[in-house]
Amino acid sequence: MMRKSIFIIVVLILASACKEKVAVPKEWVLSKTIQLDEVNPIGLTQVNGSIWLSDGDHNRLVKIDKEGKITETIDSLDRPMHIDAIKETIFIPEYGKDAIETVDKKGRFIMKVSDSLDAPAGVSVYENERAIADFYNNRILYFDGANWISFGKEGKAQGEFYYPTDVQITKDKIWVADAYNNRVQAFDKKGTFLQMMGQDQRMNAATGIFVSEDEVFVTDFENNRVLVFDKTGVLLQVLKDQIEKPTDMMIKDDTLYVINYRNGKLNLFHKQPIFAKK
Amino acid sequence: MKKSIIVSALLMLMVVFSAVAQEGKDKFMVQVDGLGCPFCAYGLEKKFKEFKGIKNVKIDIETGDFSFSYPAEKALTLTDVEKQVEKAGYTPITAKVERANGTVEESSANELANKSEGTVSKNVMVAGNCAMCEARITKAAKSVKGVSAVSWDKDTKIMNVSFDAGLTSLEKIEKEVAVAGHDTKNHQAHSDDYGNLPACCKYERLSY
Repeated sequence: MMRKSIFIIVVLILASACKEKVAVPKEWVLSKTIQLDEVNPIGLTQVNGSIWLSDGDHNRLVKIDKEGKITETIDSLDRPMHIDAIKETIFIPEYGKDAIETVDKKGRFIMKVSDSLDAPAGVSVYENERAIADFYNNRILYFDGANWISFGKEGKAQGEFYYPTDVQITKDKIWVADAYNNRVQAFDKKGTFLQMMGQDQRMNAATGIFVSEDEVFVTDFENNRVLVFDKTGVLLQVLKDQIEKPTDMMIKDDTLYVINYRNGKLNLFHKQPIFAKK
Repeated sequence: MKKSIIVSALLMLMVVFSAVAQEGKDKFMVQVDGLGCPFCAYGLEKKFKEFKGIKNVKIDIETGDFSFSYPAEKALTLTDVEKQVEKAGYTPITAKVERANGTVEESSANELANKSEGTVSKNVMVAGNCAMCEARITKAAKSVKGVSAVSWDKDTKIMNVSFDAGLTSLEKIEKEVAVAGHDTKNHQAHSDDYGNLPACCKYERLSY
């Protein structure tokens, strides 16, 4: 009898604890802002745990430490934009050179692409897949590991773009920051339109996108905001603290990093239970 | 002593020659409508790379100010520059060049700011968002014959316009601003004109 009671109590406590964890809603809260030294960042990525930023105004990539101090530089680029990385290779779309450059320990190389680009603004790498936001051509080029496809054209209808500036490949989708249509669009890996979000949020230049396991982050450049959606397009949160002309973001070690282009700030957000703020 | 004088003279000649070479550049300054972000600014720069020899390119995306220097012997005209801005997908509002020989040329838009007799000054509300809206609104108002000065405050949304009452009226000026895509207190912009505004200039429409 005694053993049975103890067992029931333990089960109840455990059930209660699990329920508590699920029930507590969380949101992103600004925890730190780092002022960068003469960097106007447009894109960011990580290599071996280190953060790299593309500094479009100064035609370079910079690696920074935890305090934002520049520890390494890759120079002689031509307007590097939304970068990405896989293992130890950084992929750099060079807007002024119409090329994607890769940099690793072996050196610097130009990535082979199926067609000519006109101002590549963003690149994404996922396993052996590649995607490029081809700004002036209003399209996405996507490589599935074997073949390239191109999808999208100038326009405002679903599946069309008005100057795409960023792209991200996930397990089953290709997400696009459709900058001057002020929205995000998602496609399957054949280039078929799947869904749209943010079109009702009065964004003004949706220039950057980051997709995590559960959330979609979009920079609302002119309105100085980052919008956070769930995967179905429901707006979860609007980040404004220290956000000024944001261009890109990423999550690393449970920290959300948001970069400001104009004032060169790197903002760090952490998820906190909502009640903890009160 | 004689030798050092010759060396000094040669050095001075080299400095003068270098200065002349530096001066052999025309400096262009253009105010451009439609630049909103680094993607637009770099895009404009990209299109101007077609002008071989272009140097000192500077673009301020907040104000739309775009400047560069170009070899004087190539005699690049303001018309060439304005056409290239349009080719890049943007609209030149004003253009000015300081030639290497000291002469200054300006686009016709600036020449309208001439004071005339019977000038009155009026305030009127005009909808807009940003510095580019400001440039477009003031350009539209200045294009009306008789308008001598215009300013618009993006915070208060008030346009102050000075004009010769014998040549034009506030109503005519408001209509011209509405044609440029901006709602005014008394004239609503056509939806097509509003629709043609760059994304960053899509202000909240006024209700009438």
